[in-house]
Amino acid sequence: MRSPLALQLRERLVEAILPEVAFDGWSQHALKRAARKSGIEEEEALALFPGGTASLVEEFGRWVDRRMEESLLRAPPPKGASLSQRVRRALIVRLEIMAPWREALRHALAILALPQNGPLALRLLYESADRIWYAAGDEATDFSWYTKRLTLAAILAATLLYWLDDRSANFVDTLGFLDRRLEDVATFGAARQRLRSFFSAAPNPLRLFRLPN
Amino acid sequence: MTRPERLPGDPGADAGAELAGMLRVDHAGELGAKRIYEGQLAILRRGRAAAAIARMAEREEAHLSEFERLICENRVRPSLLTPLWSMAGYGLGVLSALLGEQAAMAATVAVEEVIERHYETQAERLADTEPALKEKLLAFREDEIAHLEVALKEGAADLPGFPLFSAAIKAGARLAIAIAERV
Repeated sequence: MRSPLALQLRERLVEAILPEVAFDGWSQHALKRAARKSGIEEEEALALFPGGTASLVEEFGRWVDRRMEESLLRAPPPKGASLSQRVRRALIVRLEIMAPWREALRHALAILALPQNGPLALRLLYESADRIWYAAGDEATDFSWYTKRLTLAAILAATLLYWLDDRSANFVDTLGFLDRRLEDVATFGAARQRLRSFFSAAPNPLRLFRLPN
Repeated sequence: MTRPERLPGDPGADAGAELAGMLRVDHAGELGAKRIYEGQLAILRRGRAAAAIARMAEREEAHLSEFERLICENRVRPSLLTPLWSMAGYGLGVLSALLGEQAAMAATVAVEEVIERHYETQAERLADTEPALKEKLLAFREDEIAHLEVALKEGAADLPGFPLFSAAIKAGARLAIAIAERV
């Protein structure tokens, strides 16, 4: 169901289910408890997630995306921030949103790792990367639109897995991990730039065809 | 368990997908058009028609930046084949210009005819749902028609084998439109 009301109810249910998931997992049982807690009929709650567990996880992913966008809109990054600084901030905001629900995320990733949920996992990863780039104010309209999303999806997935087992205070280890990944990308970009400027200095064979007059 | 993508009573999600396809193909098309003129200019830089081509390239560039803004604003995925459209456009420009100024102009006529028709159908399909975009498309269409007339005045139709030449390019342009809407 895609109506705004259904979206709103699903959002309420996701927020109500999160504290339950640490004990019951992303299950029908937890969903019923969340429905009772938020005053929604159990049957209605079940109908709002027609795909069962997978739908619940899907909604959780979108919920994180929306919270991140809201939080970045409320507190926009400083004016002079570079694109990579903005992306870094968006990633940190995501971790902060999920910090109370690490166990729920762990279980959600386990569900997404099931073969039948592969397409959903890829779609959620793509949607998150897509929304992070737009939230960071990226305006790519060429092929880099794709490479940017691929690169960020890899960073996002790796960072999430690292973060799940990070026991350091304030997740400093994860921040270090994230910064190293972002640095890798920057190094790669600089190398590519050098390569491009080298090739642009090479002679252009098309000049030969130019009419003399 | 199969997950129903759309349940009865859901508001139509197809309108959004259709608009996305339109913006995607228009962006790709304007990119291609700009590259065609760039390719022609690379060869005919000192030719008689250089000034006219440069003026057309300028208009296409304005169209392109407008669509760049629009696909960003609507979060539309650009065509995956953008590098191909860019290369194919430049290649068509270079090749047609190598055949001479008349051939370059004939290519312009063929391409602009397809694009003009394409904008017209899009504007019809948009009807009243997106009045601002519809107006923009119609304004762009006027530009494309103007290019077509310039090219005709430069003697495009005098090219030997013009009907065959133009039919081939038109078929290519239509194929590109059909692909860019989806991919």
